[in-house]
Amino acid sequence: MEKNRIIHGLSLCSFKILRIMKLTIFLMLISFIGVFASETYSQTTKLSLKVEKMSLEEFLIEIENQSEFRFFYAGKIDVNKKVSGEYKNEEITEILDDIKVKAGIKYEVMGRQIVLSPIDKDKVIKSLQQQKSISGRVKDVSGEPLPGVAVVINGTTKGTITDMDGNYTIPNVSGETVLVFSFVGMKKQKIVVGNQSNINIILEPDAIALDEVVAIGYGTVKKSDLTGAVTSVGSEEIAAFPTTNIVQALQGRSSGVVVKQNSGSPGDAISVRIRGTNSIQGGNEPLYVIDGFPSSSSKPTVLDNSNIESIEVLKDASSVAIYGSRGANGVVLITTKKGKAGKPTVSYDASVGFQSLRKKLDMMNATEYASFYNLQRVNDGLSPYFSDEEINTLGEGFDWQDFVFSTSPIQSHAITVCGGNDKTKFSIMGNMFNQDGIIEGSGYGRYSITANIDQKLSDKITVNYSSTLAKTKLDNKNWGGERFGASLISAALCAPPSLTAYNDDGSCRVLRTAYPFVSEGLTNPVNYINEISDVRKSNEILANINFIYKPIKDLTVKIHGGIENSDDRNDYYKTVKYVDSQGYASIGSYQSTSYLNENTINYEKSIGKHDFSVLGGFTYQNFKTTSIGGSGSGFLSDNTKTGNLSSASIPGIPSSGYTKSVILSGLGRLNYVYDNRYLVTVNMRADGSSKYSKGSKWGYFPSGAIAWKIKEENFMQDVEEISNLKLRASYGVTGSQAISAYATLNNLYSGKTVFGDALNTTFAPGSRLPGDLKWETTTQYDVGVDLGIMNNRYNFSIDYYHKRTDDLLNTVSLPLSSGFSSTIKNIGVIQNQGLELSFDGNLLQGDFSWDMDGNISFNKSKVKELYGGKDIYGGWQDMLVIADNLTLLREGEPMSVFYGYLKNGYDDEGFEAYKDLNTDGVIDENDKTIIGDPNADFVYALNSHMSFKCFELSLFFQGSQGNDIANIGAVGNNITYGYGTNQLEEVYTDHWTPENTNAKYPKITREQKMQFSDRQIEDGSYLRLRDIQFAYNLPLSVLNSSCFEKIKIYFSAQNYLTITKYSGWDPEVNSLGGSSSIAQGIDHYSYPTAKTLTFGINVTFK
Amino acid sequence: MKNILLYCILIIIILLPSCSDILEEKPQSLAVNTFYNTAGEVESAIGAIYTPLRSNFNSTYPSLLECSSDMFFTGRGSWVNPAEFQGFDSKNQTREQGMWGNFYSSIRNANLIIQNVPNSDVLSEEEKNMYIGEAQFLRALCYFHLIRNWGAVPLRTEENFDEFNVARTSVEDVYKFIISDLQSAETKLPDEPFAEGHPSKWVAKTVLSDVYFYTGDYDLATAKAGEVIDSNKYSLVEVQTSEDFGKIFGATVTNTTEEIFYLEYCVESSWGYLHYLLGTDQTYAGFSGYYVCFSNSDYIVYKNWDNDDLRKVYNWYEFSGGDPGTLCNKKFTDPGSFYPSNDYPFYRYTDLLLIYAEASCRNAGSPTTEGMEALNMVHRRAYGYPATQISPVDFKISEYSKESFIELCIKERGYETVAEAKRWFDLRRLGKEKAAEIIKATRGVDIADKAYLWPIPIMETEYNEAITDNNPGY
Repeated sequence: MEKNRIIHGLSLCSFKILRIMKLTIFLMLISFIGVFASETYSQTTKLSLKVEKMSLEEFLIEIENQSEFRFFYAGKIDVNKKVSGEYKNEEITEILDDIKVKAGIKYEVMGRQIVLSPIDKDKVIKSLQQQKSISGRVKDVSGEPLPGVAVVINGTTKGTITDMDGNYTIPNVSGETVLVFSFVGMKKQKIVVGNQSNINIILEPDAIALDEVVAIGYGTVKKSDLTGAVTSVGSEEIAAFPTTNIVQALQGRSSGVVVKQNSGSPGDAISVRIRGTNSIQGGNEPLYVIDGFPSSSSKPTVLDNSNIESIEVLKDASSVAIYGSRGANGVVLITTKKGKAGKPTVSYDASVGFQSLRKKLDMMNATEYASFYNLQRVNDGLSPYFSDEEINTLGEGFDWQDFVFSTSPIQSHAITVCGGNDKTKFSIMGNMFNQDGIIEGSGYGRYSITANIDQKLSDKITVNYSSTLAKTKLDNKNWGGERFGASLISAALCAPPSLTAYNDDGSCRVLRTAYPFVSEGLTNPVNYINEISDVRKSNEILANINFIYKPIKDLTVKIHGGIENSDDRNDYYKTVKYVDSQGYASIGSYQSTSYLNENTINYEKSIGKHDFSVLGGFTYQNFKTTSIGGSGSGFLSDNTKTGNLSSASIPGIPSSGYTKSVILSGLGRLNYVYDNRYLVTVNMRADGSSKYSKGSKWGYFPSGAIAWKIKEENFMQDVEEISNLKLRASYGVTGSQAISAYATLNNLYSGKTVFGDALNTTFAPGSRLPGDLKWETTTQYDVGVDLGIMNNRYNFSIDYYHKRTDDLLNTVSLPLSSGFSSTIKNIGVIQNQGLELSFDGNLLQGDFSWDMDGNISFNKSKVKELYGGKDIYGGWQDMLVIADNLTLLREGEPMSVFYGYLKNGYDDEGFEAYKDLNTDGVIDENDKTIIGDPNADFVYALNSHMSFKCFELSLFFQGSQGNDIANIGAVGNNITYGYGTNQLEEVYTDHWTPENTNAKYPKITREQKMQFSDRQIEDGSYLRLRDIQFAYNLPLSVLNSSCFEKIKIYFSAQNYLTITKYSGWDPEVNSLGGSSSIAQGIDHYSYPTAKTLTFGINVTFK
Repeated sequence: MKNILLYCILIIIILLPSCSDILEEKPQSLAVNTFYNTAGEVESAIGAIYTPLRSNFNSTYPSLLECSSDMFFTGRGSWVNPAEFQGFDSKNQTREQGMWGNFYSSIRNANLIIQNVPNSDVLSEEEKNMYIGEAQFLRALCYFHLIRNWGAVPLRTEENFDEFNVARTSVEDVYKFIISDLQSAETKLPDEPFAEGHPSKWVAKTVLSDVYFYTGDYDLATAKAGEVIDSNKYSLVEVQTSEDFGKIFGATVTNTTEEIFYLEYCVESSWGYLHYLLGTDQTYAGFSGYYVCFSNSDYIVYKNWDNDDLRKVYNWYEFSGGDPGTLCNKKFTDPGSFYPSNDYPFYRYTDLLLIYAEASCRNAGSPTTEGMEALNMVHRRAYGYPATQISPVDFKISEYSKESFIELCIKERGYETVAEAKRWFDLRRLGKEKAAEIIKATRGVDIADKAYLWPIPIMETEYNEAITDNNPGY
């Protein structure tokens, strides 16, 4: 016994604990744990043992030794009673049945736990056996009541189904009864009744629910009936960690979607490319459709992550073609959280995070800096600037990176109230998001209120209303680019470590005159941080109203009206303390409004094996923007800021602008399903746009798709391993509104010139020659296979697509002597093709559950045709020593490859040398070649979610492979030595000298002559642990359970692990990114991406 | 059910605005085809000829020219290249491309006037002539700059300016065109400009004399310059001290008696050239300069410059932020101001006097009395003497031969027009041999053959299919 105690300490411990545990708590625990209990253990475990007159206690320990069973007491049991018996390969129940009479016990098996209780002696046990009525409510994880859930007494056919509000009642059950809750698409749950009379259950979605309904344009469809390539991203993934913009949360969540942060600046733009870049002239951002409203914005800023119910990414032509002229870049459908019938639920989600610079660059310290520039001066025939004594006193010096970047908070709060009955459903959400940037003074904040109301007026008429009001504020400190310290971010690397930010008297140090060899552009970062404020405040509204009328059973008429409005105001003020400033203030105010009216009729009918639905409609949307701006310079005091422009000594010229464009459309769709096996979709949209020339205003965008559910065929019925197999193919045409309003009109632009010290207004044509233009069209085909195995526990999808954009709108350069620099023409062809694979699976089930999903996307772009076969240059960057176009479009090459010289070691003097590709003896334009490709070979993501009892661990990896980055900013910090900029430490240790001719960096001289070459091209591949999250779901036993339904606390870290060879701050960089930019992958002193530690809590109230 | 459907469709149709004109664009702006009718419209369109010209002269164009003069010692950073006389590197090729574009932008806007103004049914013939004359004058001025920098250039007139591919016209023919434009302008332009900053016929005559002078038509140059001198429209501003030159070049000066044609700048649209000349100290402007081209106290031209010449003191100051002895040019300053409103002196009376002096000498084969007087007027004023009275610093005609007088004129022009972006054109005018000699003597370098002309920009050679060759060396 003594020995056993030691060896089996754990089981004895459970005895001990049990003795001091109240039965009620125990039963609560059981019901809680029961959720996770594995039913089969007791049936599959076979035991063999032989005992003779062994005490009950020793007998139980013996069983614990042989198995994972653990025994618990309920009531007083005489553990010294002797038992005997011989068992061979018998189930635990058989063994216990054999001894229970002798021992005077009853038992209950709950997974691996077995509860023993004395026969007939304990009142509690009696109560367990008492017949009683059980009632409760079933909800899904989002708190929505689930009607139609089967509640069955285990092992019987007795049971009931939950009503509209998810409520059920089962009479005549005993405490020993096990209730089984099941619902299509949800994980089955078993619960021991115990002494409860009210059991509320939350059913979790099954790994993959094929009956899930996904949004498509102008409707929804069962996931199993999809004919196109559509990815659905759920609310949990979107809200996994706080991001400024919901689009950032899409990164890595869907195959074929590349999300690039242009910089780490809070609120900065994001580039999204779905299946490659299609357009040179126009935007390449997808169309965002928020609750049915096709947004005019290239980034949906109005919403908060927690508002999102789901996001669907439509990728292939048949899914996007219903959006016709705006679908060429893919469509992102965003659905906000809707109310649900049932008792109102209130939830509160909050997180607080701390962001910091992900990595610091190793720069020279003050001693090295001084020695370095002495060396430069000696090499250039000048006398050293710093004396030895000075150098000896410098030491490490001042760390400008530490000065500019700091740890800063990010916080997010969301309150969601949902509820309703069968007539009215509502949801109200309040959100607060606040992010301070890692550069002091920068930040982004958003307060928003979202409401959705759905009211049934009669059996035939429903009205629903959704609106979001958001107030955002952007404090901009995103001044990058420039050269040699002439911008905030550039100065953080270029400023001499031998100088501090402030003079001894506390005033801001002027850096440009500190040493004779520093660049006149070098500006103390203090100027930007303290002396410029650039604030953009925005009020955004998105409101939709729908009248849904169902005159007869299968017919739905829907009239949708919507307004999207954004009122922005930008206040910029540069103080008189800013270097070379006498104060400058400007205010810009912008209003953009879009009205939408959509009218659709949908008819659905099933006749025998034929199911079809027909959609038809027409829509009108207009877009109007107005702007007004004023400015002034020369202020007596900084007190007025932007509050009193009229006090400026030099008033600026007021400005205003106006544009309006209209799209008028007709659309139609036919879905036809035969015998749930063959599916056909045909779409048609006609769009008329005011932006195009007369006679070319209308564009027609047809598409079609077929799908074959092979699994539904008879010959597949016996293949049990495969639970889903579907083949899809689609083809279609979409368009792009690549031009801005009035681009085809021959208009005059106003300007100013001076006569007699006064400004005079001038009128002249612009630099772009207008011309007749028509739509650019993208033709895409897609073939895909969906496979599900083991009852859809594992799912795979593969898609191949081919896109070709014709009539590409293209800026065609004109000879400058024409007085115009360019015109736009419909000339050019781009092709994108690619492969997308995605996988999800439930690797482990039971107590320890492990889900995993991942995707990988390959895209290859090719410029097929350009105007006159001529190259198009782009990505102009001016680093003074190198001023060139970095990118190029050339027929036969991928989109916007990097173009420059190939480095060829050093010449005899230690200057950088370049390859003479045409061997004509001179290095000139003709020796340029393609030196890099900013397009990734593939991007990928892997998401793992593990849970064990109350604990959850999520890992989200995301990466990009084979993309190059042109690190043009580095020119100022590793190869240009003539402007007094600080350099990478390795330049100091490894530069050309007559003894070290094979050095990494050239000779230290200000005389270098250099070109844009493959020295500036770096491998931008990375693998990033974008998020790791550890969460703990508080067991409700420790809470006042009448108040809380769920409490989850978590701790997560973003961007803490990044594997990359890229030498800059961060490989996720896109300095020239923008909605229409084709110059990707350029790093020119961008606001670096931060890493973040986040703590959060999710609470659902009862 | 039928009724319901009909009803729905009806609602939808009512909700939709009528389709016929809904897709028509109605911008809140002016259209090209209906403009150029009234005086106000035409004057604002003429203003648009000045805009690109003003942006050229706003900063880099004068800097680039001045780097290639013998008056400044060197350039700094990317400005070293034009100061080396070896042809442009890619950075400076990009710079000159913008300048090319601006000149042709002005030419386009001038062509629009010349093309459209005759069709106006509102303007009188006199008004039409005045406006067309101004456009022709400005077009000629642009071509005069283009041809001196780039040699043969595409000639875009009101006839062919909207064609994409136009070949280079020979230097000779471009000059013919320039002269015909200026001759037309001198007849069409009024005696007094219709508003400040616009040209009179005297301005056209001045430029015409410069063109003749530059192309070696010394008799015509002398005659034209003489016409302007004899008109007595202009006189030199008197100075006593070096600071008095501020009365000519200062920021607050809007108009002087010696101003023939200026490009004007004001506080709201300031002159950026000062940034390029001044040092990073803020003594001579409220901002820090870039000192992209600067001199040095042991530089030969500076050393040989007479210390009593008030212009020497007025022009140069020692900048302490550079290497020892660094001299920056402060001809144009606006102390304390962040927005210098100095004007660019396209043509001053001194230009005309010096053209007359040299041209008359070359024409006559020896110095003329009138020519010597013209030179002396400029010289006297530089030493603080009244321009029109005999002074102790006067040059005596008896002491000069043709050659030495021309040398004297060239030297005087250099001192007088320093930092006005004129010296490189003077060196070019003297011919390759003479220019090489001067640069070798002052800068110690040989001018590479390719440095005499700027390369036709890539954006032109690439997209103008009629251009097949570039200037020598490119």
